[in-house]
Amino acid sequence: MALSADGFVRGRDMTESLVKLDVDAVVVGTGAGGSVMLRELARAGLNAVAFEEGALLASRDFNQREDDMIPRLYQDAGARTTADMAIRVLQGRGVGGSTIHNTNLCKRTPDAILDLWARKHAVAGASPDDLRPAFEAIERDLAVSEIDPAMRNANNEILRRGCEALGWRGSPLRHNRVGCVQSGFCELGCSYDAKQNALKVVLPQAVEAGARVYSDVEVVRIEHDGGRVTGVRGVARSEDGKPRAEVRARTRLVVLGASAVGSAALARKSGVPDPHGVLGRGLRLHPGGVVAGRFDEDVEGWRGIPQSYECTEHLSYEEGSDRRVWIVPAFAHPVGAAATLPGFGASHMGSMRAYRRLAVLTAMVHDETSGEIVVGADERPVLRYAMLERDRKQLAIGLAACARLLLAAGAREVTVPGVYPLRITRRADLDTVDWSSIRPHSVPLTAVHPLGTMRMGEDPSGSVVRSTGEHHQLRGLFVSDGSLFPTSLGAPPQISIYAFALHLAPHAIESARAG
Amino acid sequence: MRESAENRKLLTRRRALELLGAGVVVGAGVVLAAVRTTGYALPATRRLAALADWQFVVVEQAARRIAAPDDGAEGHVPSPDEVDVAGFVDEWVSHMDRPVRRDLGRFLAYLEHVAPFGAGCVSRFTRLRAPEQDRVLRQLEGSKNDLLRAGFEGLKSLVFMGYYRSPRTWRLIGYDGPLLGRPSGGWR
Repeated sequence: MALSADGFVRGRDMTESLVKLDVDAVVVGTGAGGSVMLRELARAGLNAVAFEEGALLASRDFNQREDDMIPRLYQDAGARTTADMAIRVLQGRGVGGSTIHNTNLCKRTPDAILDLWARKHAVAGASPDDLRPAFEAIERDLAVSEIDPAMRNANNEILRRGCEALGWRGSPLRHNRVGCVQSGFCELGCSYDAKQNALKVVLPQAVEAGARVYSDVEVVRIEHDGGRVTGVRGVARSEDGKPRAEVRARTRLVVLGASAVGSAALARKSGVPDPHGVLGRGLRLHPGGVVAGRFDEDVEGWRGIPQSYECTEHLSYEEGSDRRVWIVPAFAHPVGAAATLPGFGASHMGSMRAYRRLAVLTAMVHDETSGEIVVGADERPVLRYAMLERDRKQLAIGLAACARLLLAAGAREVTVPGVYPLRITRRADLDTVDWSSIRPHSVPLTAVHPLGTMRMGEDPSGSVVRSTGEHHQLRGLFVSDGSLFPTSLGAPPQISIYAFALHLAPHAIESARAG
Repeated sequence: MRESAENRKLLTRRRALELLGAGVVVGAGVVLAAVRTTGYALPATRRLAALADWQFVVVEQAARRIAAPDDGAEGHVPSPDEVDVAGFVDEWVSHMDRPVRRDLGRFLAYLEHVAPFGAGCVSRFTRLRAPEQDRVLRQLEGSKNDLLRAGFEGLKSLVFMGYYRSPRTWRLIGYDGPLLGRPSGGWR
């Protein structure tokens, strides 16, 4: 076996056709939730391994090229969509999961959301006070701090200016980055090791504590017998995706940290008990659309930290709120921008010639739509998600608000891709737009925060795992990723996922020790 | 006895009809496959990683329209062929999962053989003149059918990925490219 000295094992280098392991714990997935759980298990003296289907990459591999990095860092080469192809779903792949390509936003789970989970979803032991130590600890580990206003790029400054002009609520964001050179290529992996993420911070700590991380190994089955977990089966793949070795691990503890899509799909195809039909249901996506504004002056939005300011004027976390939109900048590199701008041919190139003068905002819906993860004929996850009318209305409110912000900040014209008229130059024109025409498929939508498919709670008929993270029916199976959350967060989930993993780790450790 | 003899007769007749039906379906399939996949010539040097010859030609021609240059361009604007958009798409598709490849293949077949009718054209997409091809693409872009529109957007994304990945196109839009490995004179 190709076991490197530092505890990172590349499945693509395996030489045996069958690799057998006998360990105390297996963690599936190495993103925010999986990495913290692995570290805590190892620190508790347990023999723990993690399997990651993607590759092990380092800062030297991140070359800032969209065409090279997107297929390496994103599931399905960046082409993952909902089953109806209405929403593109960008999810990480590789050691470190989505923490490799995210933009480092760190917003704690809002208190109102934690209260809602306790009241309506029977989540126990997860009040703001219960979670505070975990948030504080992980924020220390990841050096979370507010972005210095001097590091705010022009695109973010436009959002701040728009908020100020309209008198709307806006505030700076907190990030986990140290030594950032403001290259602006966060979504393609940090070439400068400035991201304080799972790959750079947490997994090396786990390995230092004795854990091993296997990359290029896709777990294909959770094995269980008599109501408890007995192991996992996986496939190690070479760089071209061809099977290289079979991997079998015997264990009494399996922790799923493969995302709300991957974890639920794996549990479903493994025949994990689901007497109440809740496994895989409750999918939230936090979908968003974009609006572009063309300015007279250069914006060069690709430079600098992509997201350092937010507008929360239309965002309330209270249950039943009709203000469920979070607005942040969303500038893309040329490939992403070209795919989003409307039209094609000569007129499209004309729009692209204004690229350096564009500012782009996104409106993301704190969604109430409940989707589902099912397993396709080829065993790949299928994301079913049909946006509810009330979420569609929020999307329209959000896109209109983005347009208003850009015009208030001085945009010469704004474009909502897919919405006519394609070019709006005056605030008064916003009233002529048929916002009711906005719906999935009519506007390009992207989601980066899937959640909620193995939700926690004390009521087995309405949740998949207990508030401890352990499966209601299958002993030794824990969940430690965004699948846990019973609702959308209305915010980027990474720090919540890290914190919940830390908060729930003692229960997994206890389970492993009990055998 | 008599009943089972009639049954046998019926079965025989039904079987014959089934065979005839199957023959028609297979025959139509063979004709359709031949129509779909013949008459597409690639340069001898071109080796494809994922696309079939006919799919490659459809992508190549669609790319010429989707990433067509504007009129007011100063200086040389690289064509999609010059930056080998179709070659890039072929390579990219080879990394995609089978279901996604299958969906793309179906959409390309639709674009080539069915979509032209909707735009009032009777030839394959790849045999149409540029303005007619634009009409077909515009019709897909604005289609009331969500899947067709999604298919168009998917193809458009692939084409622009292939076009704007090239440093030769960056100067058109004022993008200065990655900081890493930047040549001293900037990207060209």
